[in-house]
Amino acid sequence: MIRLQNIEKVYRTDTIETLALNSISLDVDKGEFLSIMGPSGCGKSTLLNIMGLLDAPSKGDVRIGDQATLNLSDKQLAHFRNKKLGFIFQSYHLINDLQVLDNVELPLLYRNTTAKERKQLATEALEKVGLSNRIKHFPTQLSGGQRQRVAIARAIVGRPEIILADEPTGNLDSAMGSEIMEILIQLNKVDKTTIVMVTHDENMANKTHRLVRLFDGAQVQ
Amino acid sequence: MLKNYFKIAIAVLKRRKFFTFISLFGISFTLTILIVLTAFIDKVIGDDYPDRKRDRSLYIVRMEEVGKSGHSSTTPSFSFLDHYAGSLKTPEKMTIFSRYNGTNTYVNNKKIAINYKYTDANYWDILEYQFLEGKPFTQQQLDNREKVAVISADMKKEYFGNIPSVVGKYIEADNVQYRVSGVVKNLPVTSYMLYSDIYLPYTISKSDYKDKSYRGDYMAILLARSKGDLSKIHNEYEQLVSKVPMESTEFDQIISHASSYVASYVDTGNEKKSGVVYVLTAIGSFVFLFMLLPTLNLVNINITRIMERSSEIGVRKAFGASSRTLVYQFIVENIILTLLGGVIGMILSLLALYFINELNLIANLELTINFTVLLCGLLVCLFFGLLSGVYPAWRMSKLNVVNALKAK
Amino acid sequence: MYRHLFKLIWNKRKQNFLLMSEMLVSFLVLFAVFTLLVYYYQNYKKPMGFEYKNVWLVNYSNGDKIHNGDSLKLFYETLKREIRAMPEVKDISLSSSNVPLTQSMIQNGFFYKGKETNNVNTYQVDDSYENVLQMKMLEGRWFNKTDAVTNTVPIVINSSLKEEVFGKEQVVGKIIGDDKAKKQIIGVVADTKFKGDYEASGMASFSRIDSSSIHWMGKMLIRVTADAGPAFEGRLYKKIAGYIENSNVEIEHLINKRKSINYFALVPMIVLSIVSCFLIINVALGLFGVLWYNINRRRGEIGLRRAIGATGRSVASQLVIETMILATFSLIIGAFFAVQFPLLNVFDLSTGVYMTALVLSIIFIYLLVLVCAFYPGRQAAAIYPAVALHEE
Repeated sequence: MIRLQNIEKVYRTDTIETLALNSISLDVDKGEFLSIMGPSGCGKSTLLNIMGLLDAPSKGDVRIGDQATLNLSDKQLAHFRNKKLGFIFQSYHLINDLQVLDNVELPLLYRNTTAKERKQLATEALEKVGLSNRIKHFPTQLSGGQRQRVAIARAIVGRPEIILADEPTGNLDSAMGSEIMEILIQLNKVDKTTIVMVTHDENMANKTHRLVRLFDGAQVQ
Repeated sequence: MLKNYFKIAIAVLKRRKFFTFISLFGISFTLTILIVLTAFIDKVIGDDYPDRKRDRSLYIVRMEEVGKSGHSSTTPSFSFLDHYAGSLKTPEKMTIFSRYNGTNTYVNNKKIAINYKYTDANYWDILEYQFLEGKPFTQQQLDNREKVAVISADMKKEYFGNIPSVVGKYIEADNVQYRVSGVVKNLPVTSYMLYSDIYLPYTISKSDYKDKSYRGDYMAILLARSKGDLSKIHNEYEQLVSKVPMESTEFDQIISHASSYVASYVDTGNEKKSGVVYVLTAIGSFVFLFMLLPTLNLVNINITRIMERSSEIGVRKAFGASSRTLVYQFIVENIILTLLGGVIGMILSLLALYFINELNLIANLELTINFTVLLCGLLVCLFFGLLSGVYPAWRMSKLNVVNALKAK
Repeated sequence: MYRHLFKLIWNKRKQNFLLMSEMLVSFLVLFAVFTLLVYYYQNYKKPMGFEYKNVWLVNYSNGDKIHNGDSLKLFYETLKREIRAMPEVKDISLSSSNVPLTQSMIQNGFFYKGKETNNVNTYQVDDSYENVLQMKMLEGRWFNKTDAVTNTVPIVINSSLKEEVFGKEQVVGKIIGDDKAKKQIIGVVADTKFKGDYEASGMASFSRIDSSSIHWMGKMLIRVTADAGPAFEGRLYKKIAGYIENSNVEIEHLINKRKSINYFALVPMIVLSIVSCFLIINVALGLFGVLWYNINRRRGEIGLRRAIGATGRSVASQLVIETMILATFSLIIGAFFAVQFPLLNVFDLSTGVYMTALVLSIIFIYLLVLVCAFYPGRQAAAIYPAVALHEE
């Protein structure tokens, strides 16, 4: 499903060059639930960004499905992300000035849908994460766990094949964290969604199919 | 503590150069316009050359006759003023003089437009014209109907050219030769009551000044012995006018006032419309509308500045700063900013006034910044600073520490 | 998408309130300035309607005490004949004090079929007035000697007055006025901009000077040849001053009067334009600053939108459109206030002037907002989602 070949990422400033990723090759199969672990600054978020086509590698090749991504334009990339990928972040990134339902509808705004379809799809997604009674609330009126569930609903509303989660439980206590984890596992099992998750938490990582460890930009396991 | 505020304020203003620039631009420009306006108003109605005794003078500039079918409003005649205003007991002195009117003279195939004014001898006692040479005409010259004239410095230059002295020389105006008895400093035409190019004795006036009609071409200044007498004179004149017999059956009321300089300067010529109220409303609404926009702009910028620093404010609050200290700090910062804008505004105003004076839009109207104007500017500055600082500061004090810290 | 943006703006109404009120006030200021400019421009485009070049104005005071109107008339006829005899003089006319290109105004009501039309400028002039000023007759004729003996007082009106009172009707020969003073319209003259290039001509009616009104005349208009110079002016001056004894005489040139009356119209307009220019720059800078800051504050949101499928271009256009919607709200409120002016007829201006000014100020505000939002929008498009999403 995702194939990374010899990925290298170099950050340059005027004085220093930092090698964030050093020749990483990784295959993620369809329907797999993969977790990536490593200490702060080891390059796991960079790797996730590259998989999510938010960032381009300095060297190497990224294929998603059967699509080579190297020469895609900004517009094509945006379209591709919209159709194929769903994102979940540690700090949720909800738009505080929009109600829960509007937040979940967001990805659908960037494709051809009617207002009715959007509402229906978003309501379904919110049902899946168990928040159908909160659709008129603003994000600031929700708890952390509830916010992350809204973010998950937003990630799945467009029925993407892949979900990329960047420390989804990082801001939550363990009970809430487990709750979120359970939702992700269900998504993987029932909908066969491919999930790549970056995490700090050994317990969470152990619940996934496969674990990749990074250290100083290189794959160690 | 204040020093500390000051330091922080300067640091903040330096850090956010763009916002500082926008604020300074808005403040200094607004102030410039307001200062030019004040300087203009101050010059036009505040300049007391040549009527330095303005504070104990009353001016009669209008006479209104009201009847059922209409009203007529104009300057009174010489005989009206002489007969009625002249009979007042309280004033120390009185002068009667005509409005200025235009005429021509032709020297060496060159045309010169001349404004002339007829005055009595008291005119030169009550009004302190500055004589560059010569002296005014006397009561005796007036009684003898001598053809003498006091001319303005501009007139001297235009008619005689650059010669040192013209006293005793003859100037022709309106087909008559007048002997120059003195030269006075120029007045701008905005002092329309007293402005003229040549001043002549009223006894040689071409139109009959003894005409008994009430309507005419003359004005008067009543000089009181002291400021305390002003209201007494005003009332005495008011009473006197109410007893004046009607000129014709068309009219049933005669109105004429002896009023202060400002009130008579802005007289609208209609009893029902007070000139002072009218002018104040006009200037007031202009200034209000004009300041509303920059103020809104400044409030907007200030709120943005505060919100941008919300995490800093959060930290300060978390470490024990009370809302009050933060508000003080912000207001101090804002006042420093406005004062800075004020200084720039002053410099811009000096430049603007210099240019306006150079353009010479109105002859002899030299605009200057004096103490009053400066004080006005300073007050406007402080008002501006407070007004645009208070609402954002209030918003700031409401800022929740937790959210402020979270938001970046 | 628009619905989405409306929701976003509505939910942020508290923050947007100040921004909107600023746009609203700017709009009102612009509307006022444009109204004035459009009004001046429309008047400026219209023909002058008379020829001011080589026309001199003589101000005199009625010094001689001839009490009989007919004798006074004769007195002036003699003077006019003598002046007309001078080779440099083409024609001469007496006039009431409201001569062209001066601030002086005389206005009266105009009665027709019991209805009064107000603010009609009334001029009392000689038969030669039309020739001196070279006005254009549209219908009927100007006054001549035969009018001295008619029973009804003949008058000539201008086309503005004709349009206001009679519309398309034929007016020559119509009797107007109330029972006390019946008048007959004998001609219609083209509008004349007597108050300078930038003021409207207004409604006007002309009548002949008669033996009672001649006591109040104090102006003469003289058309001279192009080569009449100061030497001739001196002679003319001596002639008039010598003839009307005890009079103060002044000669002015209409060409200079036009300059000074235009100057009085232009100076406030220029001052107003400069002031509002600075105001607008001020507002533009402020708007730009606030929008720019908003972009920085919303980096997270922008990063997210990019992640879930928005292109750089759509993010930029979203921000521009958001600001445009804000401007639209302000403009709707502003337009509501603005249309009250023609509806309530606050100032005596035509609806067309207001509407043109309204359209111009709407376009101007949109352009201003577009320019101010464009650069911040481009900045937003350039935000790198991978970076923006990891800042917090």
